[in-house]
Amino acid sequence: MTARITSQRYAVEDFPQALELCYSRGWTDGLPVVPPTEPAVRAMLDAVGLEPDAQIAFITNRQAAITAEKVAINAVMAGCLPAHMPVVVAAVEGIADPRWGYHGPATSTGSAAVLMIVNGPIAKRLDFNSGDNLFAPGWRSNATTGRAVRLVMRNIIGTLPGRLDRGTFGHPGRYTYVMAENEAESPWTPLHVERGCRPEDSAVTVMAALAPHQFYNQLSSTAAGVLTTLCDAMRYPGQIGQPNYCVVLAGEHMRTIAADGWSKADIRKFIFEHTTNTIAHFKRTGRLPGAVKPEDETATRPLVLTPDDILVVAAGGRAGSFSCYIPGWASRTASEAVTVVIKERRA
Amino acid sequence: MPGFEILDPTVEPRRQPLTYVPRPDSLKGKRIGLVENTKFNSDKLLQKIGDILKQEYGAAEARMWRKHNSSVPAHQEIIDDAKRTVDVVVAGIGD
Repeated sequence: MTARITSQRYAVEDFPQALELCYSRGWTDGLPVVPPTEPAVRAMLDAVGLEPDAQIAFITNRQAAITAEKVAINAVMAGCLPAHMPVVVAAVEGIADPRWGYHGPATSTGSAAVLMIVNGPIAKRLDFNSGDNLFAPGWRSNATTGRAVRLVMRNIIGTLPGRLDRGTFGHPGRYTYVMAENEAESPWTPLHVERGCRPEDSAVTVMAALAPHQFYNQLSSTAAGVLTTLCDAMRYPGQIGQPNYCVVLAGEHMRTIAADGWSKADIRKFIFEHTTNTIAHFKRTGRLPGAVKPEDETATRPLVLTPDDILVVAAGGRAGSFSCYIPGWASRTASEAVTVVIKERRA
Repeated sequence: MPGFEILDPTVEPRRQPLTYVPRPDSLKGKRIGLVENTKFNSDKLLQKIGDILKQEYGAAEARMWRKHNSSVPAHQEIIDDAKRTVDVVVAGIGD
């Protein structure tokens, strides 16, 4: 790799001064960052075999060109290892995909975060957490790759709270919101294969997502029983018309559902059919406008447009009668989940 | 510890010149375009504005287009149609 790194350089005397410079310039998410030195940034670029000026994506409505150099700088700051760089690059490609529709989920008062679901061999190799404490701190890969994407949004695309990010609440997933699927123990087809990748591929699925909602069922010994509880919890949405839901089934529920021989397609179909609401309900609860008409009592509306808009992922702790669902942001026409193959390009 | 250099993680957005067409002195006889963004009641709000522009400001007519969703710019068909058929455009949000 020969091309020059052209970003502006700032001379600092020591680590504390570097850190305070990053804070004073507004380059951090509020937590300390790793000072991005040229050797560290070079190592990131080498890991993906990209020249500094290689354009990874372009966000049209921000007129923001996202180059490998800038992604690498932000990945260093987030605490990534060079081995994480291919995951970060793929996720950035995902949120820049027109189907993801960057402007809406990044800017909206609706407060989406970038949920990243990692599949394939890279998840195990880099120790992405897919088990206990799925969304908790403690795993470098989960913590830093999602953080890097948020720093890219902040520093390259200008998604700054209070300015081009107007989230009413935001949510903690905006620090990082990354999980891997528990492919080793899952009885089901992995998410990335369902979405068109090969099993040997590594991939990341990005979804504009609200916070996870946990539900509890310790009584049922059947798939229908567990999923009935799920559907009861998820059928009353925070807003209507979400493009996607992600359903994360943890160990106990996963085993119960699989023991009945249900596939992910069976799960999606059941959820789709058991989460409809009547138009009357939506009107009475202020989610749709207008007076309730007699026909509204029987006319129904599904939670998502098709069963395939429900992403089913096996992940979470082996113990505990809990699973969760994660609502997507806004509507199908505004943003949809995108799966990107992670290219491990070596220089 | 010796000093070192760190790299700027930010990007300056490309500047795009933005120009506005001249505003009409009067709306009398003008054709009004209304661009509705799909949010609840934005159609009603814009319809009301269109009515006011006709009744109180003498606009000739008002017609409405609907965007694909509130997060995207008006699509090309709207822009092309508006160029052909109206003199001024009002876009709005219904929140």
